[in-house]
Amino acid sequence: MSQLQTRFFTENKKYSVDDVPFSIPAASEVQDLSSVINKLLEAKNGSHSQVEFDFLVRGQFLRTSLASHMEAESISTEDVVEIEYVERFTAPQPEECMMHDDWISSVEADSEWILTGSYDKTARIWSLEGKAVMTVAGHTDVVKDVAWVKRDGLTSLLLTASLDQTILLWEWNSERNKLKARHCCRGHAGSVDTIATNPTRTKFCSGSWDKMLKIWSAVATEEDEELEEQPNRPRKKQKTEQLGLTRTPLMTLSGHNEAVSSVLWLDGEEVCSASWDHTIRVWDAETGELKTTLTGSKVFNQLSYSPLCQRLASGSTDRHVRLWDPRSKDGSLVLLSLTSHNGWVTAVKWAPSHEHQLVSGSLDNVVKLWDVRSCKAPLYDVSAHEDKVLCVDWTDSGLLLSGGADNKLYTYRYTACESDAGA
Amino acid sequence: MPTVNLEIQKKGTMSKAKEKSAKKRVAEEDDDQFPIFDKDIAEKENLEDEDDLSDSDESVFSGLEDSGSDSEEDGEGDEDGDDEDEDCAIISDEILKNDTVAETSAKPTATVKNTSKHQDEKLESAGKKNIKKGKGIVMEDGGEKGLTTTFQGLTTTLPADEYDQDTSDEEDVRNTVGNIPMEWYQDYPHIGYDLDGKKIFKPIRNKDELDEFLDKMENPDYWRTVHDKTTASDIRLSDEQVDLVHRLQKGQFGDASFNEYEPSVDFFTNEVMIHPVTNRPQDKRSFIPSLIEKQKVSKMVHAIKMGWIKPRKPKETTPQYYDLWAKEDPNAILGRHKMHVPAPKMRLPGHEESYNPPPEYLLTEEERLAWEQQDPEDRKLPFLPQKHSCLRAVPAFSRFIHERFERCLDLYLCPRQRKMRVNVNPEDLIPKLPKPKDLQPFPTTMSLVYRGHTSLVRSISASPTGQWLVSGSDDCTVRFWEVNTGRCLKTLEVGGAVKGVAWNPNPAVCLVAVCFESTVLLLNPALGDRLVVGATDQLITSYEPPEEDKEQAVTWALSEGPEHDKGHRLTLTHPKGVKQVVWHGKGDYLSSVMPDNTSNLQVLIHQVSKRRTQNPFRKNKGLVQCVSFHPLRPYFFVATQRCVRVYNLIKQELTKKLTANCKWISSMAIHPGGDNLICGSYDCRLAWFDLDLSTKPYKMLRHHKKALRGVAYHKHYPLFASGADDGSVIVCHGMVYNDLLQNPLIVPVKVLRGHQITHDLGVLDVTFHPTQPWVFSSGADATIRLFT
Repeated sequence: MSQLQTRFFTENKKYSVDDVPFSIPAASEVQDLSSVINKLLEAKNGSHSQVEFDFLVRGQFLRTSLASHMEAESISTEDVVEIEYVERFTAPQPEECMMHDDWISSVEADSEWILTGSYDKTARIWSLEGKAVMTVAGHTDVVKDVAWVKRDGLTSLLLTASLDQTILLWEWNSERNKLKARHCCRGHAGSVDTIATNPTRTKFCSGSWDKMLKIWSAVATEEDEELEEQPNRPRKKQKTEQLGLTRTPLMTLSGHNEAVSSVLWLDGEEVCSASWDHTIRVWDAETGELKTTLTGSKVFNQLSYSPLCQRLASGSTDRHVRLWDPRSKDGSLVLLSLTSHNGWVTAVKWAPSHEHQLVSGSLDNVVKLWDVRSCKAPLYDVSAHEDKVLCVDWTDSGLLLSGGADNKLYTYRYTACESDAGA
Repeated sequence: MPTVNLEIQKKGTMSKAKEKSAKKRVAEEDDDQFPIFDKDIAEKENLEDEDDLSDSDESVFSGLEDSGSDSEEDGEGDEDGDDEDEDCAIISDEILKNDTVAETSAKPTATVKNTSKHQDEKLESAGKKNIKKGKGIVMEDGGEKGLTTTFQGLTTTLPADEYDQDTSDEEDVRNTVGNIPMEWYQDYPHIGYDLDGKKIFKPIRNKDELDEFLDKMENPDYWRTVHDKTTASDIRLSDEQVDLVHRLQKGQFGDASFNEYEPSVDFFTNEVMIHPVTNRPQDKRSFIPSLIEKQKVSKMVHAIKMGWIKPRKPKETTPQYYDLWAKEDPNAILGRHKMHVPAPKMRLPGHEESYNPPPEYLLTEEERLAWEQQDPEDRKLPFLPQKHSCLRAVPAFSRFIHERFERCLDLYLCPRQRKMRVNVNPEDLIPKLPKPKDLQPFPTTMSLVYRGHTSLVRSISASPTGQWLVSGSDDCTVRFWEVNTGRCLKTLEVGGAVKGVAWNPNPAVCLVAVCFESTVLLLNPALGDRLVVGATDQLITSYEPPEEDKEQAVTWALSEGPEHDKGHRLTLTHPKGVKQVVWHGKGDYLSSVMPDNTSNLQVLIHQVSKRRTQNPFRKNKGLVQCVSFHPLRPYFFVATQRCVRVYNLIKQELTKKLTANCKWISSMAIHPGGDNLICGSYDCRLAWFDLDLSTKPYKMLRHHKKALRGVAYHKHYPLFASGADDGSVIVCHGMVYNDLLQNPLIVPVKVLRGHQITHDLGVLDVTFHPTQPWVFSSGADATIRLFT
């Protein structure tokens, strides 16, 4: 078999090898290359332990033999091939399974706590270890979305959006484990399906089935001391009571022709929304005007934005995860389609610390971990769920979360990101 | 010219001119021609030669100028020859001498003018000669003849010799008067002179007629007796002579011994011989290239160079055919001969024609009588089947002429109509439909399954916003589903198997009509906008009963207490079982169907805001299957088993009656434009009506294998769907154009499968999502499926 002239390089200084060309058999696969690198590292550093590497040729992961990959990508075999190698991402390890009473509609985790919204009309706060800490009950209908606003020491602000057309802003003291509904945001004329807090944690935006986007203040204003919320109260009594002060929206963004399914902040000034009218729209949060429209061909279920690579990922009512450039001026161009799911993609989330990785959940009960450099196939399929996956999230600490219609919230430990997190 | 070129070499003649040698050759030829003659005729020959010589001189040298003296010499020479004619041996020498004399005397300067003179002299000399000889010359006559013949041509044979041998001529010699009329001697006692010059006297007594007769009677040789005029005597012919006469009369040769069929011997063989006939060496000139030919060739070469001579055009090898009848008009009288119409075929004989037919073909006595009494035209068979013991016993076919005649009549009178067979490619008959790929979007895959019901789901309906779906099932529940997740949000128990559900199409009203048993229930599901829910409740409670309470067909009852909490708002109790409930587009009116074949109370129209019920029909027009409101105009569609009637609600009259061409209509849907309508039927058909076009279906689609249960139009997209008992939903592209001239375009685009067939029932209802190109189907397998 023919030999290929290759040159190996890496971003990670720990594993760097000499910058000299090597002659490698063209038929060699990832395992062979990995062992080559390990041999080189051992020769350089006696105390080196075996590390699994993954290899990238011109930004694409090597998944087959080197020769067939280069043929498929139509790379010339005459020149010296530049091969980048990174430490292989290990498979996410399942950690906890948190049982809910009903379907889990949404999940958001920060570095300490996990917040889930459920179809049993409550939201729940869990510790990262999977311990139920608090049940947030106050909505009269299904909780569709939840969001953390901010945390000052032990006091946290959190949001829950519900089918009952309201958004509740709660204040939770983790030490005393006290929860208080601070504001009830009314104004939507349909179920509130999505909320998102802005990066400065002062505002949040909500999208609803009534086709509207509304921007609210996320600051809990002090006012007359109110009765502390007692979560154990009968639900009926809660309903009759006023849950906190009623708050009205700062701004209403109208323009979508169908229900808004997902909303997020691109930065402090821009709100991006996806809708059932097959469009993704970018709005100016200050003036409320529409800035860009990206048109797809299917209903969008969820959006995610990565500030690292400045790409939007969308899950829609077909089998594809699509990547968009929200800043692009040249029309609605799909940068990349990630196709592996068999059902609607209901949830997508970019990795917070890795510019190439994202996770997606689908109605086919599978959560998939993607690296956009390997768009043909996902890195890992996580098929723990027994029913539809409705939400996924990803924490800075490398924890993957997914919840679905089987009432279970799964957490997975995923540690691969650190190696080139700084990239 | 002589054919044989034998030359006799002679000294002294070598220098003579060619003409002379030619003449010599003539003489030679004469000699050569008669090598078979005997020497005893040499005398005659000699005579001949003399004559010949003169003749030949004359003929050959006819152009000689001065031959006067010469000819006289010739004459003398002749006489010399006459004298010497005794000796044969000398003859040849004489001839040679004569030849030389003639040759020497001949002078080859001749003019045509003197020829006659020379001839005259010649004749004179001949005359003198005859006179000199006088009557004593025996052969004068023959000689003259010979002369004449030789005059005619040198090449002819000499008849004189024949006369020499002819013995019959010798008889004539008895009388020397010659060939004169014998009447001249009538008055004389003699009849002529014999050879000695003595008178030949006539017989003393002439025979009279009586003698003649007696002679005839008595003389046995009379038949062979010939009267000789010249001697006036009767000659009795000998047997040989009689035989000769007979032979001549028969046209045979006189000589009996002559073999006329002797084998012929070719003088020259017909085969090509390797040696030349002559031994003459080839001329020198034959070895010298001809200058003339060279000149000719060079001329031709020059002409070719100058292009005056052109090479022959190559012969066209392709045969030149042409269609003789190419320009013939097929409609012309002759043209139809080409239109061959085959003659009607004769019926092949069957068993009844057999000589020994099976007994069932034989007629019984009554049948035979009936057959005989029938007119020949009415008879089924033109003959009586007859049984014969063996083929040998079969008599002659008595109807042969009759049958042939009828056959001729058939051929003559048969309708000779040409069958016009159209050759069409079957592919061309298929209308050119756009590809389904170009007609997207339409539902293609099953996305969600709504599970929860425990029995077959009869009816589904989507909320006007598209967020919710309501379904009614035989498990006596009504379920409300969240469309995008498949979550069942609410389950309501009702008192019977739910036959129909209908979400109020007005987005400002949140009401769902449910029919089960004989009840129509109006529910407020409390889904969607709180304000709308509240407004709906307000609308229902704000009803104020009118002063005079009219008797109505149904009883309206307001729900209270726990039922109200469950969502029940109004209960309409019908007198009969309700099968279908349908809303008007504005959401205030709804209609319920109570199929009943016996009364006119089948369809009721209710007004919710006034809680009023009307029975629009006075007559029963058949079992009502389903009803529908026109989406825009005040029309009302009522589908019975076979047809759909369109009523104008304001004028209260029948506008149209559509015939569906199917056995039993099961379902009906109106296009949102209002001008088109589809009907599903239990006999697997879907009929599309264009109301502007006709009362007959514009298209019949037979895509389903089993009975159709539900049909639906999409509100915005040009789609319609049908669900059937075969468990499949077929989605069709049904484009309706604003242009009235353009007919709707109907293209089947997708067959959606997913439902399991339970109890022989597949899909029971289909409905489209109000905003997305999605279709819901409910099936007998207790599931609802969403196809996107």
